[in-house]
Amino acid sequence: MYFAGVDAGSRTIKVVIIKGSDLTVSGFGIVDQGVRQAVKAKELLDKVIRNSKIKIKDIGGIVATGYGRNALSWADSKVTEITCQAYGVKQEIPNARMIIDIGGQDSKIIHLDSNGIVNDFVMNDRCAAGTGRFLEVVADRLEIKLKDIGRYSDKAASPSKISSMCVVFAEAEIVGLLAAEEAPENILAGVQNSIAKRICIMAGSGFKGPVVFTGGVALLPGMKKALQDCLEHSINVVKTPQFTGAFGAALLAAKDKY
Amino acid sequence: MPECKKNKCCADIKKDETADCPINYFQNQVENSLDYAESMKAEGAKIVGIMCEYTPRELIMAAGGVPVCLCGGSVEMVEPAEKVLPANLCPLIKSTFGFSLLKENPFLEMSDLLVAEITCDGKKKMYELLAKMHPLHVLELPQKPEDKDAFKHWVAELNKLKTALEQRFSVKITAKKLKEAVRVMNRERKLKRELAALMKSDNPPLTGRELLDMKSLISGMPEDFKQYEKALKMLPGRKIKPAAGKRVRVLLTGVPMPHGAERVMDILEENGGLVVCQENCTGLKPILEDVKENTGDLLTAIAKKYFNIPCSVMTPNKKRLVQIKQLAAEYKADCVIEVIWRTCITYDVESVLVKKMTEEELNLPYLKIETDYSPSDTARIALRVQALYETVKGRKSSGRFEKKKTRKGR
Repeated sequence: MYFAGVDAGSRTIKVVIIKGSDLTVSGFGIVDQGVRQAVKAKELLDKVIRNSKIKIKDIGGIVATGYGRNALSWADSKVTEITCQAYGVKQEIPNARMIIDIGGQDSKIIHLDSNGIVNDFVMNDRCAAGTGRFLEVVADRLEIKLKDIGRYSDKAASPSKISSMCVVFAEAEIVGLLAAEEAPENILAGVQNSIAKRICIMAGSGFKGPVVFTGGVALLPGMKKALQDCLEHSINVVKTPQFTGAFGAALLAAKDKY
Repeated sequence: MPECKKNKCCADIKKDETADCPINYFQNQVENSLDYAESMKAEGAKIVGIMCEYTPRELIMAAGGVPVCLCGGSVEMVEPAEKVLPANLCPLIKSTFGFSLLKENPFLEMSDLLVAEITCDGKKKMYELLAKMHPLHVLELPQKPEDKDAFKHWVAELNKLKTALEQRFSVKITAKKLKEAVRVMNRERKLKRELAALMKSDNPPLTGRELLDMKSLISGMPEDFKQYEKALKMLPGRKIKPAAGKRVRVLLTGVPMPHGAERVMDILEENGGLVVCQENCTGLKPILEDVKENTGDLLTAIAKKYFNIPCSVMTPNKKRLVQIKQLAAEYKADCVIEVIWRTCITYDVESVLVKKMTEEELNLPYLKIETDYSPSDTARIALRVQALYETVKGRKSSGRFEKKKTRKGR
């Protein structure tokens, strides 16, 4: 028996299929989010099932998570991304005590107890500063591809200070920096530091490690460093940070049956 | 007899299927209160608006007044208020003031006097603007309840209120009238306490929202008392849907939820929770203690009761933490959820202590919801609430999955 986790996030949809007997990953896939997300998600799920060389009848359960989870009527149950992240991370890094998850539309801090159970969580989704969307806006303004952000910010000699708490105002601040002929790499590094600062505030003072970094933004090399410097704590990035939520959802689907 | 309009609320009441169920009666709390206020006013009674639970309704009643709560809960009144008041202000204050600007609150318009309690700074300064439109008596609260002279100051303030009422309404507040008012208010508090205590059951017979609705804007309405008594007889054994046993038991704390501002309560209960205890000013907080009746000095006894309300405007406010602890145990809470109206600084800062106590002493999950009256963040709040409920359930069942996994030798 196999189990599927579908994470319908704000920017992308992720699917992970695991084998119930040993909880290993059999297949996974990702697609950009769109208007008809239930259809998009189903197409992706079908594709991952095909690629995994199994049949739909082999799927013993589907758990949906992410912003769009309630739109996926064909899922057996819906679980919040907070619980799914915790399950996904725990499977990969069993002794993790804090998760930093930065996605497209929100960022969250999840504190786990010594058994990997969620103790407390803090979310930022009122504004885009502190999320992947912020980086997208800035990369676009600087004419840099998102995937190259890490390479650029590594080169920064002196990161700019970006103090605005709102992406729209921050963008105006960046326009000012560009007008003053500030180097793009310094601006990018400044933006990453600004996101890291917001995350640090959310993490609070009494957090425990190991700290695990998940979500699409964890793919950008510069962010890990910015967060480590700000938190003054080492950070582990999971192997496939975009898929932790979907993986956790698949584990939860299996949990009911095994 | 009014017919039951909402089948969902009395469908499960066995003894009285279609007739007037008390829950339904209170669905018309505003109309009920207005009818009462109008008839009392016609008989010569004075309408006295209040905006805080520290005001002793007993004094107003003993002066022949009808105390009515004016706290605004309507989102519609917030925007008009922002034309005058700063946008960055608590929605309860803005809504209350907006009603005054638009003359939309009939109780405010018919009030002969407002008692303006100085609790937070926002209210205090709003009262100065309100005073330009309505006769208003300012009641100053002490802020350091542990100080030796705090209580003396409070008694003096109540004496000033007593004099103000007597002079304005040309009456004498006699010991006899005061005693009668104390008796009425004690009875009301007792009935409400008993209703709230129904939620201690493993299968509470009503929802938190239904309990929240079982009140009127005016205290001491005789018909309310009859309905409370009836509810206490009828409700035990009633079944709610979804079944109470499967829902996460929530202790709600923080700011009051005036009529019209029950959105967060609904979010909590529509996502798998049941609010079993409301430790706030529209819940148990003001009714846990009564006024001592058999005493020569009733004014001091009244002062004592109200002095003991643990509001976040007090410093330090140790009693609130003790109270939450006791209530969480009595009502078997699974988690504590605190609601803060945006910019309510005193509750917001105090939430640091509530969270710490909840997590360290009660060992329960805690969630703070900071919001206002606009519905824009409903989905965001629901996500956090769902995640909290999953956390509660996860903690309860932790270990189960892991044990099985190990057995399978992964």
